[in-house]
Amino acid sequence: FLGAGGGNDIQWCFSQVKGAVDDDVAEADIISTVEFNHSGELLATGDKGGRVVIFQQEQENKTQSHSRGEYNVYSTFQSHEPEFDYLKSLEIEEKINKIRWLPQKNAAQFLLSTNDKTIKLWKISERDKRPEGYNLKEEDGRYRDPTTVTTLRVPVFRPMDLMVEASPRRIFANAHTYHINSISINSDYETYLSADDLRINLWHLEITDRSFNIVDIKPANMEELTEVITAAEFHPNSCSTFVYSSSKGTIRLCDMRASALCDRHSKLFEEPEDPSNRSFFSEIISSISDVKFSHSGRYMMTRDYLSVKIWDLNMENRPVETYQVHEYLRSKLCSLYENDCIFDKFECCWNGSDRQVEFLTLIVMTGSYNNFFRMFDRNTKRDVTLEASRENNKPRTVLKPRKVCASGKRKKDEISVDSLDFNKKILHTAWHPKENIIAVATTNNLYIFQDKMN
Amino acid sequence: MLGKGGKRKFDEHEDGLEGKVVSPTDGPSKVSYTLQRQTIFNISLMKLYNHRPLTEPSLQKTVLINNMLRRIQEELKQEGSLRPMFVAASQPADPLSDNFREAQPAFSHLASPSLLPADFVSTMPLESCLTPASLLEDDTFCTSPAVQHDGPTKPPSPALQPVKDSFSSALDEIEELCPAPTSAEAVAAESAADDSKAQPSESNVHKPEGLPESRTAESKLIDPLPGNFEITASTGFLTDLTLDDILFADIDTSMYDFDPCTSATGAASKMAPVSADELLKTLAPYSSQPVTPNQPFKMDLTELDHIMEVLVGS
Repeated sequence: FLGAGGGNDIQWCFSQVKGAVDDDVAEADIISTVEFNHSGELLATGDKGGRVVIFQQEQENKTQSHSRGEYNVYSTFQSHEPEFDYLKSLEIEEKINKIRWLPQKNAAQFLLSTNDKTIKLWKISERDKRPEGYNLKEEDGRYRDPTTVTTLRVPVFRPMDLMVEASPRRIFANAHTYHINSISINSDYETYLSADDLRINLWHLEITDRSFNIVDIKPANMEELTEVITAAEFHPNSCSTFVYSSSKGTIRLCDMRASALCDRHSKLFEEPEDPSNRSFFSEIISSISDVKFSHSGRYMMTRDYLSVKIWDLNMENRPVETYQVHEYLRSKLCSLYENDCIFDKFECCWNGSDRQVEFLTLIVMTGSYNNFFRMFDRNTKRDVTLEASRENNKPRTVLKPRKVCASGKRKKDEISVDSLDFNKKILHTAWHPKENIIAVATTNNLYIFQDKMN
Repeated sequence: MLGKGGKRKFDEHEDGLEGKVVSPTDGPSKVSYTLQRQTIFNISLMKLYNHRPLTEPSLQKTVLINNMLRRIQEELKQEGSLRPMFVAASQPADPLSDNFREAQPAFSHLASPSLLPADFVSTMPLESCLTPASLLEDDTFCTSPAVQHDGPTKPPSPALQPVKDSFSSALDEIEELCPAPTSAEAVAAESAADDSKAQPSESNVHKPEGLPESRTAESKLIDPLPGNFEITASTGFLTDLTLDDILFADIDTSMYDFDPCTSATGAASKMAPVSADELLKTLAPYSSQPVTPNQPFKMDLTELDHIMEVLVGS
């Protein structure tokens, strides 16, 4: 990537892969969320078993200038446990739906992790020193016989092997009747929102015993329910502005200054349906699975089943860009409905914020099936399909673009739609905030790719 | 890297259907459109009722599937005005529905009696308190404001009031034939439904207000949403639309003609000869897929015969 704006497309190379090699995937190992922290030094994943694994990037090795630091396991902890709701006789899954990092304020790192019902604030801190030389205790912890103590000494800190500890500092519970799908930290770094299917709550990070309900779309009569909230996010710069998307393909922008309960949107973003594409599944495929603001906050991106759309916040009636992720699936919607794939929730992400600012680049990334993922460059108008596969695991080998053959004669190296593996889906991807490093989660593996440095 | 050796992840038989994605406006392809709609409807019902996960089902998924079913129902209702089929009235929200919590999916099969002439129960109870009779009404006679259709609308005939009463009681009898199953899977679990129907039981949930069994399908749909979602059964929402509606979607009406103003008994005697089997035969030329392999339909028709006997006999 040669810098400002245009120039060459990024050449992505395999860097690392984390996770079991087994084809047999343990349910608990299924990755459910991926997130870089604000510096990019830490990369967190959450899985279906309720665990959080944090990887840390090695300090750059000056002698090995051809690659950036590798990511190695930094901390692993059990964030959520399965619970049982006795009232409804139903299990509450421990699966981590989202992780969001707080900006770093001191030596420790903080992140929010959430399952369907409960959000937790975790503190991750390092310990690399320990006090030694107690008067009453031996080094191994046994108490000394007081009669043997003849002198007093002051304990001193001595270095020890690095230990990373994760401790839950806040537990935000009992505020959601429905399943939490999003959490988003406000730009004031003091409050955050959590959204479930029908409601959005506003929390203060310090206060766990109450939250404010700011959006409620639950109808008085549940039979009239036809639309749910699918994602929500705070504006990156305006601390009173947030958006939420719905299962009907709409995005509402709300201003908390307007009223306590943001039932009336300030803006409604919706693209009229293309009548030529109308089908039984029009509504389902219009359901938005993810919404993300660009770094500047001027644009936002939404992901529905078949496409990624970029919206200009100043234009509500249609997106400024629409990228087709896997249009070849449009004729397969009935099968995808039957096998439930049509309900898969793909996420999307922007390229690193630094690059957006510095080079005015806007690239979006999103996943697809067969372990393919796609990138769209708004400036060059080019897109590419890549694959996360262990077969390409030679470091510094540039990933070869893939192509799916929709119909007709399949060219060499193309893959026909019917050969796609719909069990291999990439739902979660993340982009390093500063560098061209991306993390791509397959079912149970985490792939890290970097651009080829010259 | 080349393809993975032709791993097929789709159900093969679906491909035939996929290939025929057509719009309802294509004349000759209307049948395949109907078939696709039928398939999607079936799939949707199966999704809602086929499995009870240990965790709460996704509300988004449930809502989307429900919307799909609603849309198909609307379409069928609009088309229904052109045929004397029993796409029973879709009623607006009924205050009484709040009381109805038990699922009685079994009756949805019984509700099918598309064999019965529309005029047999042409009276539309105009008050919101619906009796089982409303189940068997044809849309053409429905005066529900929610339904817009082009079909001929005929005014309720006062002469048929007494018919309704006896009919209601007949239906009550039928109601007793099917005890409410504890799970809401009766639609998909055909054998279970069959068993329950075979055992008339007084312990059956018999709604004193005479709530239409049409709610069964409705409550079925609501059932998957756990109690904390504060779901109550409601009327109209797919109450009437059962598998049988799909089954008889394109029935040839020339099989039996009817005059909406004839007396009940006259109509009944006219209808008696029509049996489920004959109806099935009329369907055969309309579908490229054989209908009979679907077990639930076969059992439904047996039950239909039974109902007819009951109704005609009373």
